[in-house]
Amino acid sequence: MSFSKIKRRDFLKIMGWGGVGATLVGCDLPTTVTLEEGKEKVVSYLMPEEYVIPGVGVWYASTCQQCPSGCGIHGRVREGRVLKLEGNPASSVNKGRLCQMGQASLQAHYNPDRIAKPKIRRGSSLVDATWEEAYGLIAEKTANISGSKFAWMTGSVSGHQSVLLQAYLESIGSGNHFVHETINNAVWAKVCQDMLGDSNPRIRLDKAQSMLSFGADFLGTWGSPLHFSTEYAKFRTSPRGTLIQVEPNMTLTGANADLWVASRPGSEGALALGIANQLVSKQGLSMSGLPNSVQSLIRSYTLDETVTATGVDADRIADIAATLKRRSPSVVLAGASAQGHEHGYQCVAAAMVLNVILGNIGKTIESNGEFAYASMAPVSGNTHSLVSFSQAAADKRFDVVFFSGVNPVYTAPKSLGLKESLANIPFKVVFSHFNDETTAMADVVLPLASTEEDWGTHVAPYQAGVGEISIQQPLMEPLSTETRGFGDIVLTLLKKRKETAYEGFADYYAYLRNAFSTIPAEHKNGASDEQFWTDVLAAGLIDVGVKKTSLKVKGVEFDMPKEMGNSSAMILAPSARLGFWDGRHANLPWLQEAPDQISKVVWDSWAELHPSTAKKIGVKEGDMVKIASASGEINVKVYIYKGVHPDVIAVPLGQGHDAGFSRYAKDRGVNSLSILDPKVDKMTGELALYSTNVKVTKAAKTDDVLVRFGGSETQVGRKLVSTIPADVYERTEGGDHVA
Amino acid sequence: MSLSNLIDDWSRYRKGREEGGFHDYEHMWGMSIDLNKCIGCNACSVACYAENNLAVVGKEKFEKGQGMHWLRVERYWDEPDLGEERTSEFQQHGASFLPMMCQQCNAATCEPVCPVAATYHTPDGLNAQVYNRCIGSRYCSNNCPFRLRYFNFWSYYEDSWPAPLQMQLNPDISVRDMGVMEKCTFCVQRIRTVKDTARMEDRKVRDGEVQTACSQTCPTGAIEFGDMLGMYDPETGVAETRVTKMWRKHQVELGKTKQNKQTPEMRGYRVFEFLNTDPCVMYLDRVREV
Ligand code: SF4
Ligand code: SF4
Ligand code: SF4
Repeated sequence: MSFSKIKRRDFLKIMGWGGVGATLVGCDLPTTVTLEEGKEKVVSYLMPEEYVIPGVGVWYASTCQQCPSGCGIHGRVREGRVLKLEGNPASSVNKGRLCQMGQASLQAHYNPDRIAKPKIRRGSSLVDATWEEAYGLIAEKTANISGSKFAWMTGSVSGHQSVLLQAYLESIGSGNHFVHETINNAVWAKVCQDMLGDSNPRIRLDKAQSMLSFGADFLGTWGSPLHFSTEYAKFRTSPRGTLIQVEPNMTLTGANADLWVASRPGSEGALALGIANQLVSKQGLSMSGLPNSVQSLIRSYTLDETVTATGVDADRIADIAATLKRRSPSVVLAGASAQGHEHGYQCVAAAMVLNVILGNIGKTIESNGEFAYASMAPVSGNTHSLVSFSQAAADKRFDVVFFSGVNPVYTAPKSLGLKESLANIPFKVVFSHFNDETTAMADVVLPLASTEEDWGTHVAPYQAGVGEISIQQPLMEPLSTETRGFGDIVLTLLKKRKETAYEGFADYYAYLRNAFSTIPAEHKNGASDEQFWTDVLAAGLIDVGVKKTSLKVKGVEFDMPKEMGNSSAMILAPSARLGFWDGRHANLPWLQEAPDQISKVVWDSWAELHPSTAKKIGVKEGDMVKIASASGEINVKVYIYKGVHPDVIAVPLGQGHDAGFSRYAKDRGVNSLSILDPKVDKMTGELALYSTNVKVTKAAKTDDVLVRFGGSETQVGRKLVSTIPADVYERTEGGDHVA
Repeated sequence: MSLSNLIDDWSRYRKGREEGGFHDYEHMWGMSIDLNKCIGCNACSVACYAENNLAVVGKEKFEKGQGMHWLRVERYWDEPDLGEERTSEFQQHGASFLPMMCQQCNAATCEPVCPVAATYHTPDGLNAQVYNRCIGSRYCSNNCPFRLRYFNFWSYYEDSWPAPLQMQLNPDISVRDMGVMEKCTFCVQRIRTVKDTARMEDRKVRDGEVQTACSQTCPTGAIEFGDMLGMYDPETGVAETRVTKMWRKHQVELGKTKQNKQTPEMRGYRVFEFLNTDPCVMYLDRVREV
């Protein structure tokens, strides 16, 4: 193929560098690497003579795919096998660190239950097929499809995979891209967009002296957990920041709070307004920047009113306000449990109002800049897409749907009827590593290469003021000759659609290689093309900078429903953990055997209850309860502790998978998402995950026991974990690390 | 062997670190774990599974206490030093986390009880376990005050690593079989590799050159690892390592049963120090605003 036939602007678009317009002067088409050469490079980088030194481990950079944060990794390769992952110190996301999910990525790669061959549905079963058959069938079903009849549901996606995916949608003329993640910041992002003019501002934990977090589990599941963990370490060095966490059940972040406050789900907004009231009426702060209606809303949340609406002590509310004022600058965050309501937007907006009153905007909440290349920019998932997809499927709007990086049959509450509606979609193609719940319903299964076998580029959705593109490169030869990389599959699909622009690329590697040849010259720093590519692979990333943006505080009006917080019905909290995440890692034995950070349960589900509630229901640890919502019921064993609101029963996510998912997840626990009511946040359409009322009753005990790590919940008087007050710490160690 | 001989020997052995005579230490690997930074995330524990070929035993065996977590993150709900927690309605200061691995005691109570000397002290100051000498008496485990030794009650090879999971196994160390005791080694294979490299390059090991798997992955940098004997760095001319600095700053000394701190409020402490096992792991107090 000759590139001369393609217009320059189109070419840049194909390669992912489109969208920055005039700044691209001086960009050359590839000259040093021809496509033929590209082809030669497609051989594995594991060329024995150069790369395999018997007995010596060599480290290669890549990118973690265990959650959407996009941490940089180093993989240790010895004799052609990848043995261990570490964080890539050069990555600004995780600075050389790795979480337990990242560590366990190897067990997804080497998992004994991975799908090794394409499959095609014959009647009620999926049978092994060849790639030719699979591609043939897809070509046939998509040959004359009209764009509106086609949809693609993915998880969060970025980089060149996103570029190709968009190209494929375009080739079909479809705009139906549903991006779904159960664990997301969608409401926070919308509030930030509306109130600050930037959906993804930078949070300066390192500058903050105090933090008030309404259920934002930034050490576990909020934003970029590893990034915020590294920032948290700075927050906790002298002068040591104070962390106040408000949530219905304790998250990992809550477990590290100086003050943990139990909230009835839905009352977070009222509490935020009550604190705002105190800041204005007692702490002398001004709310003049806010719209009049919001000011009068704050005025209405007097201390008495707030106590009634939230059940939180008056002293405590006053104290929180005083602490935030005293320990300035502060930062106020809101996460899953605050956004998971029909008025979730208002709850998060009320939290953001606190940032405005406290003067945090511009101090601890800054503009983060915007990734310069729009088509590669991260597209973050949400649950609104799950709801609208379910509706569209029920309305029989689609003939062909692709699924990749998602398992909606597991993550969708049964009340959305998604599983049934899938029957309305005549042709479903699932790109998958495992035979999960969605894959089981496919008409064609395309087995994916693992993270450790594939090429890719990723742009982390949260970056602290930089624009890094993180490289994913194979750390070893594929375990199965019949799996394919995601990029390779999409590229092949594009070629099958006779998209001539892609014909010249032998494979995804060749495509990426060319993309890096055509990268705007300013990023190459004068290096030769080959040197540049080698450098990028060795570093694992390249910072292409960000477009500067600035925050503009905008007055946003919102109301707060008064009646919430008064009801006494129990509420189900489907809380998420850094571990199984949204359930996707329940097939990894290291994570099944890793005790939950809070309850220390292994290999199981559990329900968290406050001792007073457990007493009322008449259950003790390990007993079985029935949790019934309007949409279904689950039976699960209880764990009892004081880190949960008495009106709440929390059932962390992860288990309750169908048999096919893997031997490790099989017949294990329950999926608390399954019985949620189909309520949504009225402003954003996000699923209201923390708003399902349930009835909890004692159920018959089974033989199956709740297994937990650790004999004792207390130190029994021994000095195991010694604790000192923060003022002592400041006295002895203060000044050491003052910035 | 008379009783007085036995006691005498033990006493000389016990004081070997301070008074010399038993070991001429080349290194003395130690740690400092900051509980003000540790968030209880468990990354260290899983990193240890990945690095050290730890078997996954499954729910039933885990229930019997047969889990092989060389590094376990303990979680407690009470705060004896702050008092009030028992009476309050909520867990208002969160949880107390404690990452616990072999404390590499210099006067290790596990060592002298081994009938075949399968566990012994190395010139690196490590409490080592010789797998192919171990006969599975489990006396060491009984004698470990921290319960940080793990016994292979079964052969886990097939159940724990069904193909192709076994391809992940670290070839630098063995997979232990039934009847053998095992525990945290301070990632001895990583120490070995670095020492070999240094020797080949005709130089000394540098501070920070050996990273244990747990310390390397820890998201908050709570775990410092290094040589307690210090390391001379020709470039900076400094003999202190990061870990010795921490121990000095927090006024904890090896070889002491009771620390005589100038500033008693400095946060360093060793778990069960009064038992006189002289652990090489120092913890720094958790901190809470109260
Ligand atoms: S936070 Fe996400 S991307 Fe980072 S190491 Fe953990 S799983 Fe991987
Ligand atoms: S990895 Fe670090 S922060 Fe996490 S539990 Fe271990 S020591 Fe604590
Ligand atoms: S030092 Fe190594 S062996 Fe010991 S707990 Fe840490 S990772 Fe495991």
